[in-house]
Amino acid sequence: MTAVLLFLLLLPLAGAVLNAILGRHLPRRLVEVIASTAILGAFVMALLGFLSLGQRTVDVSFFQWFAVADFTAAMTVHYDPLAAIMALMVTLVSGLIHLYSVSFMRDDQDYVRYFCYLNLFVFAMLVITLADNLIFVYLGWEGVGFCSYALIGFWYSREANATAGRKAFLLTRLGDVAFGVALALFFVLFRNFSLSYINAHASDLGSGLATAVGLLLLWAAAGKSAQLPLSVWLPDAMAGPTPVSALIHAATMVTAGVYLLMRLFPVVSLSPTALLAIAAVGAVTTLYAALSALAQRDIKRVLAYSTISQVGYMVLAVGAADIIGGMFHLLSHAFFKSLLFLAAGYVIQACAEEHDLFRMGNLRRLLPAIFWPFLIGALALSAFPLIGGFFSKDRILLAAYLQPGAAYKVLWGLAALAALLTPLYTFRMFFLVFLERPDGRRETDLHPVPAFMAWIIWPLALLALVDGCLNLPFGPGKDWLAQYLAVVPGARPHLGAPAAVTLAMSLGSATLILMVLAFTWLLYRRGAPAFTWKGLAAFLFSGFYLDQLYDLFLVRPYRLMAQFLWQDVDERGIDRGVEGVGRGFLLFSGGLGWWATGRVSTYLKMLLLGLTAFLAVLAAGWLVW
Amino acid sequence: MIVPYSHVLVLAGVLFLMGAAGAIARRNVFLILIGVEIMLNAAGLALVGASLHWGRPDGQAFVIFIMAVAAAEVAVGLALIVHCHRRTGSVNADDYRLLKG
Amino acid sequence: MTTLGAIFYVLAGITLTATALAITRRQPVHAVIYLIVSFFSLAPIFYLLGAPFLALLEIIIYAGAIMVLFLFIIMMLRLPPAGQAPGRFARQWLPALILASISLAITVWIFLSDPAGQAPLAPALASPLAFGRFLFKTYWYPVELASVLLLAALVGALYLGRRDPPADQEGEKT
Repeated sequence: MTAVLLFLLLLPLAGAVLNAILGRHLPRRLVEVIASTAILGAFVMALLGFLSLGQRTVDVSFFQWFAVADFTAAMTVHYDPLAAIMALMVTLVSGLIHLYSVSFMRDDQDYVRYFCYLNLFVFAMLVITLADNLIFVYLGWEGVGFCSYALIGFWYSREANATAGRKAFLLTRLGDVAFGVALALFFVLFRNFSLSYINAHASDLGSGLATAVGLLLLWAAAGKSAQLPLSVWLPDAMAGPTPVSALIHAATMVTAGVYLLMRLFPVVSLSPTALLAIAAVGAVTTLYAALSALAQRDIKRVLAYSTISQVGYMVLAVGAADIIGGMFHLLSHAFFKSLLFLAAGYVIQACAEEHDLFRMGNLRRLLPAIFWPFLIGALALSAFPLIGGFFSKDRILLAAYLQPGAAYKVLWGLAALAALLTPLYTFRMFFLVFLERPDGRRETDLHPVPAFMAWIIWPLALLALVDGCLNLPFGPGKDWLAQYLAVVPGARPHLGAPAAVTLAMSLGSATLILMVLAFTWLLYRRGAPAFTWKGLAAFLFSGFYLDQLYDLFLVRPYRLMAQFLWQDVDERGIDRGVEGVGRGFLLFSGGLGWWATGRVSTYLKMLLLGLTAFLAVLAAGWLVW
Repeated sequence: MIVPYSHVLVLAGVLFLMGAAGAIARRNVFLILIGVEIMLNAAGLALVGASLHWGRPDGQAFVIFIMAVAAAEVAVGLALIVHCHRRTGSVNADDYRLLKG
Repeated sequence: MTTLGAIFYVLAGITLTATALAITRRQPVHAVIYLIVSFFSLAPIFYLLGAPFLALLEIIIYAGAIMVLFLFIIMMLRLPPAGQAPGRFARQWLPALILASISLAITVWIFLSDPAGQAPLAPALASPLAFGRFLFKTYWYPVELASVLLLAALVGALYLGRRDPPADQEGEKT
């Protein structure tokens, strides 16, 4: 088992290092093979680990990282079912995305840098997934943040891309500060950074501290998982290559925040306040993002806001004390969102780098290969009955509804509303892209795209179709995931819901979703009258003007202060001060120099002056004494 | 009984300061040297008075040495003045400024 | 006031006057002459204060050798008659006067306020014989050094005063 876990972690790292050092000297195909093999090898390891783990928990220690006085930090791995299934998902999705990237980046000359960062990212993500020692987790946390920055700003020669990367980094950094503070708190309270230890002794925390820790971890997760108020970086992060968006901003990095909360759930769940805060953030973000997605024009930005919204569901699940539901949705979302992103990448390349939805259209006829995967992804995202996200979303809504307290009902309402908006924005996008339109794409406008890119995503499509089977509420494989994850601390396999409520919810949501789908088709079908809702559209398009708000209240004052400090304090104050001291010295020495006249009589005068002064001092001393 | 010791000292002091003032106020190098001689002499006077006051001949011995030193100094000083006069043609102390920075 | 005291004050007055005149003369020769007078009146003071040998030495060495040497050199250099703008008098003398008077005030005040110095000096005499014996017994080393010093002064004066060879004279610009 140790060897399996070691290889699982080290293969992506080895791939990154190898490509970093030798990549420039190797033929292109070899670089791509190295990168992809590293990840697929890691997937094999993850599979082996998953199969041999069963339902137990394994703690493996690799080596002592550092030991100071009575404090030791070791590279330990806490491999329990949660980690096992997460690792499996990460490696599988990453592997497919690597293969897709080989084709997607075929015209780019910077492939070495790309594959290096991609491998490095997978390594960092696996560290977060597996690590037991929280400092080790922090290493992975920062690692994914850095790789995200590097990959978002991959095409850095365009300033907008570099700015987007910087923005992502800064905002996640804000979250990381909270993580750091939480780490410090953990150290002070437990003198130990081990996850398993902290979870076991979680009840030692007083309620005040538990709330503080919970809120700190919420802030950290909000940064990484792009929840309010730190969500503004994700839409701009679409500046990166589409496979990067698929990997980082659909399946892995944005889920890292939620994953951390799940791993530390015993600590987080000690405080009902913290749980409520988490649930509230999740629910509000879900609705906010769903509304904003309605007005987007860029196909990737729709998907970005959709990600924010769906991750909000996972956060809501944690807040509703349902880790299993959150994990279920995490897995489903990973499959259908990365599927959608990769399909969108195909569409974008086919339309000659066109991102605007309103300039697509007719693609069902023109790009048949991508039509079906895209449709499957869209259905899964909308929680079409029996497909993909339907079961996971249903479970989350149920968990939220069942939590004691009126607040949770309100949050359930918000989440439910968002669930109804999801098919709306998803199929708005779908219909705009694929349905026949008089002003849509023509055959001559399309660029050829390798067919490889279309059929490599089919595994994801199939998984998206059937991943409801992970945790069906009925049938032979009933509740498989729930049973599997039951050993994770804090997990509740059964929500304890009365059968009637469950059934009512499922049927109700299924019906409503179908109705919304029909409504959307009416709005966007061929020949439908065009309509605009100007003011509201602008408001939603800019994400409730959140960017502008931050710019006005945070960025601008900071700029003013920086300008002030630069020009007034630094240049005028300090520089002139230093210069003034220099000039003062020059004046002083000039004054002294005036004294040296070179004339004997002057020097004699000075001698007598000295003598007089000496006598005066003597006399004064005599007087005093 | 002659005079109080302090009177001798006062005389010596006045002579000394007169020499100092003369050395400072004059430009002619000879007159500066003369001022120096006056000062040395005044010091000698003070020493002789002290020697009488304390009743020890050491003060007088010191005056001998002062005179010897004064003689040597005058010899060398005048030789210097001659040399400088040959160099610059002037005995004005203000004209000896080659070393000024 | 005893006789000796009266003599002392008279001689002191002469000395002071002569010195004052010496430092204020324009011509160096006049200043030297007045200084000789000053030294001549200082010698009996030495005698009064019990140092006959030093009184003689004062006349022989100071007034006789040193001042004569001054005169030699002054005359040798054939200086033009000294002339000076009258307005410069105050500018030259003012700093000296101020400083000297301050110092004078302080020193006189210090001397006159010392109680130990108010007692009149008892006359005594150090005969040349006794004084010589004392000098060579206790201070023989400085005496030898003084002679070496005089030798050094001699050599130095010779060297400084020599006429430079024609080659040096021509290339002496700095």
